[in-house]
Amino acid sequence: MQLLTVSTDHPEVIRKRRGVHGLQARMLSDRNLAVTDAFGLRNQLIHSGPLGDDEAEALPVPTSLLIDAEGKVLWMDQAENYQRRSGPEVVLAALRTHLD
Amino acid sequence: MNITRKKLGTSLGVFAFALVAATVVIWFRLANQVAIPEDRTLFVVFFLLGPVMGVAAFIVGTRWFGGVAAVIAILVGLFLPFTVAISRQEVAENPISVGDTIPYFVAIDDESNRFTSDSLYGTPVLIKFFRAHW
Repeated sequence: MQLLTVSTDHPEVIRKRRGVHGLQARMLSDRNLAVTDAFGLRNQLIHSGPLGDDEAEALPVPTSLLIDAEGKVLWMDQAENYQRRSGPEVVLAALRTHLD
Repeated sequence: MNITRKKLGTSLGVFAFALVAATVVIWFRLANQVAIPEDRTLFVVFFLLGPVMGVAAFIVGTRWFGGVAAVIAILVGLFLPFTVAISRQEVAENPISVGDTIPYFVAIDDESNRFTSDSLYGTPVLIKFFRAHW
Protein backbone atom coordinates (compact mmCIF):
# COMPACT_ATOMS: atom_id res chain seq x y z
CA MET A 1 0.00 0.00 0.00
CA GLN A 2 1.41 3.39 -1.01
CA LEU A 3 0.28 6.84 0.06
CA LEU A 4 0.60 9.71 -2.36
CA THR A 5 -0.38 13.32 -1.69
CA VAL A 6 -0.90 16.14 -4.18
CA SER A 7 -1.08 19.83 -3.30
CA THR A 8 -0.18 23.13 -4.92
CA ASP A 9 2.48 23.88 -2.30
CA HIS A 10 6.08 24.58 -3.34
CA PRO A 11 8.37 21.55 -2.80
CA GLU A 12 10.27 23.38 -0.06
CA VAL A 13 7.03 24.17 1.79
CA ILE A 14 6.03 20.50 1.67
CA ARG A 15 9.51 19.49 2.86
CA LYS A 16 9.34 21.92 5.76
CA ARG A 17 5.84 20.91 6.83
CA ARG A 18 6.25 17.18 6.30
CA GLY A 19 8.04 16.82 9.64
CA VAL A 20 5.19 18.53 11.46
CA HIS A 21 2.74 15.87 10.33
CA GLY A 22 5.26 13.00 10.43
CA LEU A 23 3.98 11.87 7.04
CA GLN A 24 5.60 8.91 5.33
CA ALA A 25 3.83 9.60 2.04
CA ARG A 26 5.35 10.48 -1.31
CA MET A 27 4.29 14.12 -1.51
CA LEU A 28 3.92 15.83 -4.88
CA SER A 29 4.02 19.52 -5.66
CA ASP A 30 1.45 20.44 -8.29
CA ARG A 31 2.07 24.17 -8.68
CA ASN A 32 0.53 24.45 -12.16
CA LEU A 33 -2.32 22.02 -11.33
CA ALA A 34 -1.28 19.67 -14.15
CA VAL A 35 -2.00 16.59 -12.01
CA THR A 36 -5.15 18.15 -10.54
CA ASP A 37 -6.43 18.90 -14.05
CA ALA A 38 -5.52 15.42 -15.34
CA PHE A 39 -7.88 14.07 -12.69
CA GLY A 40 -10.44 16.85 -13.29
CA LEU A 41 -10.34 18.00 -9.68
CA ARG A 42 -9.72 21.77 -10.00
CA ASN A 43 -12.20 23.80 -7.94
CA GLN A 44 -14.37 25.86 -10.31
CA LEU A 45 -15.93 28.11 -7.69
CA ILE A 46 -14.42 30.87 -5.55
CA HIS A 47 -10.75 30.29 -4.91
CA SER A 48 -9.77 31.06 -1.34
CA GLY A 49 -6.17 29.99 -1.02
CA PRO A 50 -2.96 31.31 0.49
CA LEU A 51 -1.67 34.70 -0.72
CA GLY A 52 1.80 35.98 -1.50
CA ASP A 53 4.53 33.57 -2.63
CA ASP A 54 2.39 30.55 -1.84
CA GLU A 55 -0.52 31.69 -3.95
CA ALA A 56 -1.57 29.19 -6.60
CA GLU A 57 -3.84 30.01 -9.53
CA ALA A 58 -6.45 27.61 -8.16
CA LEU A 59 -6.78 24.71 -5.74
CA PRO A 60 -7.97 21.13 -6.05
CA VAL A 61 -11.22 20.10 -4.41
CA PRO A 62 -10.02 17.95 -1.48
CA THR A 63 -10.36 14.37 -2.71
CA SER A 64 -9.23 10.91 -1.59
CA LEU A 65 -8.89 8.16 -4.18
CA LEU A 66 -8.21 4.50 -3.57
CA ILE A 67 -6.50 2.94 -6.59
CA ASP A 68 -5.90 -0.77 -7.16
CA ALA A 69 -2.62 -2.28 -8.36
CA GLU A 70 -3.73 -1.87 -11.99
CA GLY A 71 -4.49 1.83 -11.64
CA LYS A 72 -8.28 1.53 -11.41
CA VAL A 73 -10.25 3.77 -9.01
CA LEU A 74 -11.92 1.58 -6.38
CA TRP A 75 -13.30 4.28 -4.12
CA MET A 76 -13.45 8.04 -4.00
CA ASP A 77 -14.37 10.61 -1.39
CA GLN A 78 -14.74 14.30 -2.10
CA ALA A 79 -15.49 17.36 0.02
CA GLU A 80 -18.10 19.56 -1.64
CA ASN A 81 -17.36 22.10 1.01
CA TYR A 82 -13.78 22.67 2.06
CA GLN A 83 -14.78 23.28 5.66
CA ARG A 84 -16.20 19.79 5.82
CA ARG A 85 -14.34 16.64 4.92
CA SER A 86 -14.29 13.02 5.90
CA GLY A 87 -12.30 12.01 8.93
CA PRO A 88 -9.70 9.22 8.96
CA GLU A 89 -12.33 6.66 9.98
CA VAL A 90 -14.06 7.04 6.60
CA VAL A 91 -10.83 6.36 4.73
CA LEU A 92 -9.94 3.44 6.99
CA ALA A 93 -13.38 1.90 6.47
CA ALA A 94 -12.91 2.18 2.69
CA LEU A 95 -9.50 0.52 2.92
CA ARG A 96 -10.99 -2.36 4.88
CA THR A 97 -13.90 -2.78 2.48
CA HIS A 98 -11.86 -2.69 -0.70
CA LEU A 99 -8.55 -4.24 0.23
CA ASP A 100 -9.47 -7.05 2.61
CA MET B 1 -25.45 59.49 32.71
CA ASN B 2 -22.61 59.80 30.22
CA ILE B 3 -20.34 57.62 32.38
CA THR B 4 -23.05 54.95 32.69
CA ARG B 5 -23.50 54.93 28.90
CA LYS B 6 -19.77 54.56 28.39
CA LYS B 7 -19.72 51.71 30.83
CA LEU B 8 -22.52 50.01 28.95
CA GLY B 9 -20.80 50.59 25.59
CA THR B 10 -17.48 49.29 26.91
CA SER B 11 -19.16 46.20 28.32
CA LEU B 12 -20.84 45.61 24.98
CA GLY B 13 -17.52 45.86 23.15
CA VAL B 14 -15.76 43.51 25.54
CA PHE B 15 -18.68 41.07 25.51
CA ALA B 16 -18.76 41.11 21.69
CA PHE B 17 -15.06 40.27 21.68
CA ALA B 18 -15.49 37.46 24.23
CA LEU B 19 -18.38 35.96 22.26
CA VAL B 20 -16.48 35.98 18.96
CA ALA B 21 -13.31 34.69 20.62
CA ALA B 22 -15.15 31.78 22.27
CA THR B 23 -16.86 30.90 18.98
CA VAL B 24 -13.54 31.06 17.12
CA VAL B 25 -11.93 28.70 19.66
CA ILE B 26 -14.76 26.17 19.29
CA TRP B 27 -14.72 26.55 15.49
CA PHE B 28 -11.00 25.84 15.15
CA ARG B 29 -11.09 23.03 17.68
CA LEU B 30 -13.78 21.33 15.57
CA ALA B 31 -11.88 22.14 12.37
CA ASN B 32 -8.84 20.41 13.82
CA GLN B 33 -10.93 17.32 14.49
CA VAL B 34 -12.47 17.55 10.99
CA ALA B 35 -15.81 17.80 12.78
CA ILE B 36 -17.35 21.11 11.67
CA PRO B 37 -21.06 20.32 11.28
CA GLU B 38 -22.92 20.37 7.97
CA ASP B 39 -25.36 22.94 9.35
CA ARG B 40 -23.26 25.90 10.50
CA THR B 41 -26.18 28.30 11.04
CA LEU B 42 -25.64 28.55 14.77
CA PHE B 43 -21.97 29.40 14.24
CA VAL B 44 -22.86 32.11 11.75
CA VAL B 45 -25.45 33.55 14.17
CA PHE B 46 -22.89 33.68 16.99
CA PHE B 47 -20.21 35.13 14.73
CA LEU B 48 -22.60 37.84 13.51
CA LEU B 49 -23.79 38.70 17.02
CA GLY B 50 -20.23 39.93 17.62
CA PRO B 51 -20.32 42.65 14.93
CA VAL B 52 -23.88 43.64 15.92
CA MET B 53 -22.84 44.17 19.53
CA GLY B 54 -19.58 45.78 18.40
CA VAL B 55 -21.45 48.38 16.35
CA ALA B 56 -23.88 48.89 19.24
CA ALA B 57 -20.89 49.58 21.49
CA PHE B 58 -19.83 52.46 19.23
CA ILE B 59 -23.36 53.84 19.01
CA VAL B 60 -23.70 53.86 22.78
CA GLY B 61 -20.14 55.16 23.23
CA THR B 62 -17.24 53.21 24.68
CA ARG B 63 -13.87 53.65 26.34
CA TRP B 64 -10.82 52.90 24.20
CA PHE B 65 -10.38 49.26 25.17
CA GLY B 66 -14.06 48.55 24.61
CA GLY B 67 -13.58 50.14 21.18
CA VAL B 68 -10.58 47.97 20.32
CA ALA B 69 -12.45 44.86 21.46
CA ALA B 70 -15.47 45.93 19.38
CA VAL B 71 -13.37 46.47 16.23
CA ILE B 72 -11.80 43.00 16.56
CA ALA B 73 -15.24 41.48 17.14
CA ILE B 74 -16.59 43.23 14.05
CA LEU B 75 -13.71 42.17 11.77
CA VAL B 76 -13.41 38.55 12.93
CA GLY B 77 -17.18 38.16 13.31
CA LEU B 78 -17.68 39.18 9.68
CA PHE B 79 -14.72 37.32 8.23
CA LEU B 80 -15.64 33.81 9.36
CA PRO B 81 -19.23 33.89 8.02
CA PHE B 82 -17.65 35.14 4.78
CA THR B 83 -15.47 32.02 4.62
CA VAL B 84 -18.58 29.89 5.28
CA ALA B 85 -20.33 31.62 2.38
CA ILE B 86 -17.53 30.88 -0.09
CA SER B 87 -16.66 27.41 1.13
CA ARG B 88 -18.61 25.41 -1.41
CA GLN B 89 -16.49 23.80 -4.11
CA GLU B 90 -17.19 22.19 -7.40
CA VAL B 91 -15.15 20.24 -9.90
CA ALA B 92 -15.42 20.56 -13.68
CA GLU B 93 -17.81 18.42 -15.70
CA ASN B 94 -15.79 15.25 -16.09
CA PRO B 95 -13.81 14.47 -12.98
CA ILE B 96 -12.29 11.05 -12.45
CA SER B 97 -14.78 8.57 -10.99
CA VAL B 98 -14.96 5.06 -9.57
CA GLY B 99 -14.10 2.46 -12.22
CA ASP B 100 -11.87 4.83 -14.25
CA THR B 101 -8.18 4.14 -14.73
CA ILE B 102 -6.03 7.01 -13.47
CA PRO B 103 -4.46 9.23 -16.13
CA TYR B 104 -0.71 9.20 -16.77
CA PHE B 105 0.96 12.13 -15.05
CA VAL B 106 4.37 13.55 -14.28
CA ALA B 107 5.16 15.76 -11.29
CA ILE B 108 7.91 16.65 -8.85
CA ASP B 109 7.97 15.57 -5.22
CA ASP B 110 9.05 17.51 -2.14
CA GLU B 111 12.72 16.68 -2.85
CA SER B 112 12.24 18.04 -6.39
CA ASN B 113 12.64 14.51 -7.79
CA ARG B 114 10.72 13.64 -10.93
CA PHE B 115 7.75 11.38 -10.34
CA THR B 116 5.74 9.49 -12.94
CA SER B 117 2.45 7.73 -12.34
CA ASP B 118 3.91 4.48 -13.78
CA SER B 119 5.55 3.90 -10.42
CA LEU B 120 2.12 3.55 -8.80
CA TYR B 121 1.28 0.28 -10.53
CA GLY B 122 1.78 -2.99 -8.69
CA THR B 123 0.40 -2.05 -5.27
CA PRO B 124 -2.80 -0.31 -4.12
CA VAL B 125 -2.41 3.43 -3.60
CA LEU B 126 -4.31 6.04 -1.62
CA ILE B 127 -4.01 9.39 -3.38
CA LYS B 128 -4.99 12.50 -1.46
CA PHE B 129 -5.48 15.85 -3.15
CA PHE B 130 -5.52 18.57 -0.54
CA ARG B 131 -5.73 22.33 -0.47
CA ALA B 132 -2.33 23.15 1.03
CA HIS B 133 -0.35 23.16 4.25
CA TRP B 134 -1.11 26.67 5.41
